[in-house]
Amino acid sequence: MSAPRQSLIGAALPRKEDDRLLRGDGLFTDDVQLAHQLEMAVGRCPFPRAAIGAIDVAQARALADVRHILTGADVRAASEPLTVLRPVPGAPLLPYYALAGEEAIHEGQPVVSVVAASRAIAEDALELIDIDYEPLPHVTDTLGALADDAPVLHRETLPSNLLTSNVDRAGEPEARLAEAPVVVEGRFHVNRVSALPMEARGIVAHWRAGARTLEVHASTQTPHLIRQQLAECLPLDEGCIRVIASDVGGGFGMKLGLYPEDVLAVLHAMALRRPVKWIEDRLEFFRASTQAREAVHEVRIGAEADGRIVAITNQYTTDLGAWNSTYGSAQLSSVVFTGPYKVADAAVERRVALTNKTPIGAYRGYGQPEVNFALEVLIDRLARRLDVDPLELRRTNMLRPEDLPWTTPSRAVYDNGDYLKTLQMAADAVDYDAHRAVGRECHDDGRLTGIGFASFVERTGYASARFLAGRGSRFGAHESVVLRANRSGGIDLYTGVSTFGQGSETAFAQVCAEVFGIDYEAITIHAGDSGASPLNTGAFASRTLIAAAGAIREAADALRDKTLRIAAMVLQSTPDALEVHGRAVRVADEPGRTVSLADIFTRAIIGQGISEDEAPGLEAAAHFEPSHASFSFGTAAAVVSVDLESGEFDVERFVMAHDCGVVVNPPLVEGQVRGGLVQGLGAALAEELRYDASTGQLVSGSMLDYFAPTIMDVPPIDLLHTEIPSSITPFGVRGVGEVGTIPPAAAITNAVCDALADYGVEISTLPLTPERVWQALSAARNAREPR
Amino acid sequence: MKSADFAYHRPGDIAEAVRHLQDYDGGARVLAGGQSLMPMMNMRLWRPDAVVDINGLTDLAELTAEGDETRIGALVRYSTLEFSPLVAERLPLLKAMVAFVGDRQVRNRGTIGGSLVQGDPTGEMPLGCLVLGATVSVLGPSGAHTIAMEDLYEGAYTATLAPDEVLTEVRVPPHPPHFAFRECCRRHNDFCVLSVAATGRMADDGRWRGLRIGLGGVNDTPVLAEASMALLEGSRLDDADIAAAGGAALRAIDPPDDIRGSAEYRAHLVPIYVARVLRDLRASAQAAAR
Ligand SMILES: Cc1cc2nc3c(=O)[nH]c(=O)nc-3n(C[C@H](O)[C@H](O)[C@H](O)COP(=O)(O)OP(=O)(O)OC[C@H]3O[C@@H](n4cnc5c(N)ncnc54)[C@H](O)[C@@H]3O)c2cc1C
Repeated sequence: MSAPRQSLIGAALPRKEDDRLLRGDGLFTDDVQLAHQLEMAVGRCPFPRAAIGAIDVAQARALADVRHILTGADVRAASEPLTVLRPVPGAPLLPYYALAGEEAIHEGQPVVSVVAASRAIAEDALELIDIDYEPLPHVTDTLGALADDAPVLHRETLPSNLLTSNVDRAGEPEARLAEAPVVVEGRFHVNRVSALPMEARGIVAHWRAGARTLEVHASTQTPHLIRQQLAECLPLDEGCIRVIASDVGGGFGMKLGLYPEDVLAVLHAMALRRPVKWIEDRLEFFRASTQAREAVHEVRIGAEADGRIVAITNQYTTDLGAWNSTYGSAQLSSVVFTGPYKVADAAVERRVALTNKTPIGAYRGYGQPEVNFALEVLIDRLARRLDVDPLELRRTNMLRPEDLPWTTPSRAVYDNGDYLKTLQMAADAVDYDAHRAVGRECHDDGRLTGIGFASFVERTGYASARFLAGRGSRFGAHESVVLRANRSGGIDLYTGVSTFGQGSETAFAQVCAEVFGIDYEAITIHAGDSGASPLNTGAFASRTLIAAAGAIREAADALRDKTLRIAAMVLQSTPDALEVHGRAVRVADEPGRTVSLADIFTRAIIGQGISEDEAPGLEAAAHFEPSHASFSFGTAAAVVSVDLESGEFDVERFVMAHDCGVVVNPPLVEGQVRGGLVQGLGAALAEELRYDASTGQLVSGSMLDYFAPTIMDVPPIDLLHTEIPSSITPFGVRGVGEVGTIPPAAAITNAVCDALADYGVEISTLPLTPERVWQALSAARNAREPR
Repeated sequence: MKSADFAYHRPGDIAEAVRHLQDYDGGARVLAGGQSLMPMMNMRLWRPDAVVDINGLTDLAELTAEGDETRIGALVRYSTLEFSPLVAERLPLLKAMVAFVGDRQVRNRGTIGGSLVQGDPTGEMPLGCLVLGATVSVLGPSGAHTIAMEDLYEGAYTATLAPDEVLTEVRVPPHPPHFAFRECCRRHNDFCVLSVAATGRMADDGRWRGLRIGLGGVNDTPVLAEASMALLEGSRLDDADIAAAGGAALRAIDPPDDIRGSAEYRAHLVPIYVARVLRDLRASAQAAAR
């Protein structure tokens, strides 16, 4: 008997994607050059809110090489409002056309679009278009938008700027708070940030009228869903539309749905019968692509004197911007608002506020970083109030393995895990006890040292299609795959999951190779083409592998069964005596008796040399919906040193101990976690889309003023893993795509507040800049020494 | 983000460059490294009728020692300054500061002449050249003249060159033996929140002479902290001197209020950073004395 092959699950195989990307052979949207292609540029509202009067396009139309111009009226005549895939439950639909009509409601909203021979000429033409704007009163502050006297954005649909509010609750949290010996509370401001993919958005639309075929190349995470939305907006039969997302230069949730520019490019292309390209530049990206996170959380925690938490309430307001984008405002704050803690009495209320700012959309974490910041910073405040160690306080309240599965007050079900273990690992990794023994004043130059923790759970995947249906979401919880044998003895894997850096091609090939037994190299992935992949959901919500692994397993099993049947006939054996090895099938006990996969696959494909009972063809499709969401978990720890004079601080160490279940490919997991951490650190410490309240203008809308971290700004990061298989997913995997974004803000804020504990410094606002630390120190000093 | 139309000229000598500039009557701009010009044009914030590309004028790319003086051609790139042994030996402050400019790509293209004409209030080169007491040579239709760094700016991003003049070189007098530099940034090598550069000489009696302190990012232009300099003339740079000089530096500032930091915070940081730089300076002299 030959030795069993080592499992590919857990193997650090090289990424399928890397070769082409590193050689510059990726194919991004701007690499698509079609014959007779024209280019589009979009004219955008410069005001946060304005009435739009006459639009004079005569001069622009007269400019040489300008081919087509669209205004709001044209768009209304030719298309429907953009549709929403993940509406906020209970909220009315807000109409939003690809171009503004009588009123624009945020800076950067598309107002006109021009197609010309080149982008430069199209931009020249935009300058020649005269638009009568009359600025109207606006509101950019999240809570201010809910004030009685705030100008209302969607007057025809809503009486105020409150889109909707909804409550999840269990037990009697208010009563528990009223009787709790200790109650801490805080109002936490989470900054508006950008997902900032390296490649901004882009689309090439090509309509062949005679063929009634619309072919769209787009930089998107969800080609099949874009197809659906285009069909709805144009309106056009879905069968006419093919959406191709080849390489995508980062998505992070921001490229999940249809945007106005997609509709515009298509409308132009259909009118002109020529391909139209639009590549978003970085300046328009900052105003046109969805932004993220901005929220205010008001949290209360009640506890017994011994530190046992008896109740948590969180009323939060998320800023939606001016319109409900395809994936709208983040929805997971409510799901994980009690974190990894055992609390029965708790309530969360989400309020969604409309403001005259760029619409908010999904971004890695989708509400989890926001609520983690509020909860974990308040937990540390509770520790200081009770004078107990923050680590001990977490230990006291954390769900234990035997408490799991656990239904949270918002009715999420945490699967199995060991939360305390990652807490202890993080504490050990930063030498917590040794630090505490030395004290905070261990630097020669007077800087103070602090340590902060942030524990978290991360929901990965969706509970079910039924759960999504209950919330009005218009997509499923499944993934799908088609496997097709080819005559070279390899397997083609077709997936609707586009490739945007997450490594899914690699992970899918690994799972397929593992199940089938074939070489990893023999698998070719065909990703992101709606015309050549089964209908699927798409890559978001850290759900892809959880769902896709099940589909791949099912399809690979089916393909393997048939392969072995045919091979048994050829080798005059029985299927269960055979094994797949490399690119051949052999008799397990007699490895010399072998037939190549190329031979078997060719027989099957052409239907020659197979048994009479066997149908020709070797192809399998499968759809798989996981039974539940799975929850990843962990604890981050930060060690900082703070300069008392200036408020400057260094993150000296950052440790992340986490569990994402069974690891399919360790470097992929490490890449996901580190990448997420860098985005989390950037959002925590520096990034901020700031709007000037009086002018309503975005003041940090370029790479010059938006402080995304560079590699030089990233502190040393240590990653630690536990690998507890999820009890409910195929292979025991949990999602890992978003986890890094969750704990940095709270861990570092807690570390800074710990360093400054003797001064009574409390920090509730992000980003946590040195200036903010200085302000907090000054405020705390003033409070202590009243003049 | 595509520039408006413009004409492009690539002159073969400096006189031709000046002629082109003159032809457009203030409507043309010199193109050196393009690290500020190109973004401004692509954002259509600047729309010159013509661009006069001086990258072919190799005479302007020379770096030479002329007696006590060091001459840096306007086209000398940041990277050249960063790695030149001549600069390391003769202008160590400039070498230290240039490493804080942007990223490698920016330093490979950007030039000292472009940086000085651009006149970013946070720029490292304008500040370094000011503290070192440099002058710049300028060529225009009516001939050549020089401008002292103190007189180069009228305000933020406004050098006093006429639109038909070309900055040809920077002349730097002898560099004092001690120097120190620090800057505070929101992220690595970003345009600074503030920066402080200082040079000086400690005489044999342990007293400091000719100490110069420059501040970047806290006024419309880089400025000398003259009150602090006066206080420190002949001092021993002891802790009390340093504290006093830090406070006196506030007289030189009129800080901006922007996304990088509030005016109040910049004012708070000025004495702190001046004191840190002066302590660095003192430590450098003490190390040299050992
Ligand atoms: C990502 C990025 C980061 C940056 N970070 C920093 C930083 O940290 N610190 C910093 O100081 N700067 C920074 N800069 C700006 C950079 O230093 C520019 O290179 C510099 O300001 C201009 O030099 P240049 O040679 O590129 O000039 P150009 O961009 O070609 O020209 C700039 C201006 O000077 C004029 N000009 C150029 N040369 C001459 C000449 N010889 N005579 C007359 N006029 C001339 C041009 O007409 C134009 O008006 C950064 C730029 C970028 C893109």
